[in-house]
Amino acid sequence: MARTFGHRTREALAPWLYLAPALGAVVAFTYAPLGYAGWLSLHQWNMMPMVEPRFVGLDNFTNLLTLPELEQALANTALHLAALLPLTVVLPVAIAILTQELRGPWRNIYRGLIFVPLIIAPIVAAAVWRWLLDPRFGMVNAGFKALGLGPVAFLQDPDLALWTITWITGWKLIGFSTLLVSASLAGLNPSLIEAARLDGASEWQVTRRIRLPLLSPTISLLVLLTILLGAQWSFAYIHVLTGGGPLGSSNTIWYLLWQFGFGSLAAGWASAAGLLLFAGFGTAALFLLWLMRRVSFHDD
Amino acid sequence: MRHHLALAPLALVSVFPIWWMLTTALRGEAEIYSPWPWPADPTLENFRFVIATTPVWRLLGNTLAYATLSTAIQLLTATLAAFAFTRWRFPFDRTLHALFALSWLVPFQVVMIPNYVAIARLGLIDTLGALLLPHLASALAVLMLVQAMRSFPRDVIEAAQIDGASHWRLLWRIIVPNLRAPLAALAILLFISAWNEYFWPLLLTRTPRSAVIQIGIQSFLTEEGNLWGPLMAMSSMACAPVLLIYIALQRQVIDSFLKAGTRG
Repeated sequence: MARTFGHRTREALAPWLYLAPALGAVVAFTYAPLGYAGWLSLHQWNMMPMVEPRFVGLDNFTNLLTLPELEQALANTALHLAALLPLTVVLPVAIAILTQELRGPWRNIYRGLIFVPLIIAPIVAAAVWRWLLDPRFGMVNAGFKALGLGPVAFLQDPDLALWTITWITGWKLIGFSTLLVSASLAGLNPSLIEAARLDGASEWQVTRRIRLPLLSPTISLLVLLTILLGAQWSFAYIHVLTGGGPLGSSNTIWYLLWQFGFGSLAAGWASAAGLLLFAGFGTAALFLLWLMRRVSFHDD
Repeated sequence: MRHHLALAPLALVSVFPIWWMLTTALRGEAEIYSPWPWPADPTLENFRFVIATTPVWRLLGNTLAYATLSTAIQLLTATLAAFAFTRWRFPFDRTLHALFALSWLVPFQVVMIPNYVAIARLGLIDTLGALLLPHLASALAVLMLVQAMRSFPRDVIEAAQIDGASHWRLLWRIIVPNLRAPLAALAILLFISAWNEYFWPLLLTRTPRSAVIQIGIQSFLTEEGNLWGPLMAMSSMACAPVLLIYIALQRQVIDSFLKAGTRG
């Protein structure tokens, strides 16, 4: 009796023992910090160990929402994401559809080449693009000069800095997105397309009426990834290349958060800003997931 | 024809910057500004400069240690957790699975300050161990392995149980050896992500003692930003391991990233 009981308890405990390391890590380094950020957001604290955090209620939130920089950073983030979508969604879908019949060695060569930017470290990408875009000696401006155009200060001109950052972010993702769309195109049921062709549908009609609807789950996924992660991905480029400048012109909401937290050592502000963002982007994500579920109907 | 019209420009744009990095690294001072697509007189002087003036080997060693260790630990914790989710039904199992699935929604920037404060309290600032701490478990790895284990043939597991194998033996003798492909795919993904990681080391590192190569490039860029030859040489050294893995295992690398992309 006692032995079976012991055996049973051990059996009931087993899954928890297997789960413990991963669960402990996720709780300790994701969920507990999230809770701590919630607590910090109600306090004012400069992260000095000798100084006690002071309770300030919702002041951090109200102060944040009235910040002049916030508005610019939010607008920049929206523009950045909107400009990123053609690079991470529209072009990849177009290229994948145009080239879906490509077979043989060329297919593999192109796949191999367009994927490369994704695995390059963001800092390396930043360094290389800074070299390519250098106003005096960079290759891109050398090309412009050959065409008789003046040097362009891609990263120093307030009108261009944000677009340059967007381009570098997009450069890393465009090939990857194309391959993602290609993979889901290859998985489409060919009989639907055959049937439409037999009915005399033109290539454009097949794309418009069959391929795009069937691709909608993948397209929504790419939109979701771009919106949720796009501004985060560009962080490294902003940090290394522009510092959010010139004149705040390339400051995004994520970078602003960083400046609060580690530039001004204001843990309360940074946590409040982080939570607002989490709430905002989280809502956007859930909405997009809901939308994805609704449109992915067509799948069967 | 239209295939090439669509893909050739994209391929060129994708690879040219990498090509330019490698060739700039091999150019002598005299032809650093030359628009010629390859160096007329290739030299290693930029690499010698980087090795002489920066602790680049130390940084690469740190990065290798960090990336290898975090990959191994994350594979281990994910294998154990995925086994728990697929082998048993237990209270809150769905909730806990959702806890992993939702954790990728929590942005790093929200938890970075609390994590930084915790690491500082533990006195671990500027150590390699602190880099590892938030990377002891990967939610993505757990989810991908749960999926892989769910598709594992039931009868094999049942046969092993009839033979009286304990769950520990079942996991290590039967399931893990048969999951080599997904485990390898995950290892590639985790290693490359860790190798390229930048945010977290940026917060924690103070000296070359614990710095990784990405931080080395960043400080070189800030201090000697216009020494293009050495900067590109250092960048090439930082990319070399990842590019070599890619050249050797191209199909697997692409597949594992695509799979991770669709898993979200």
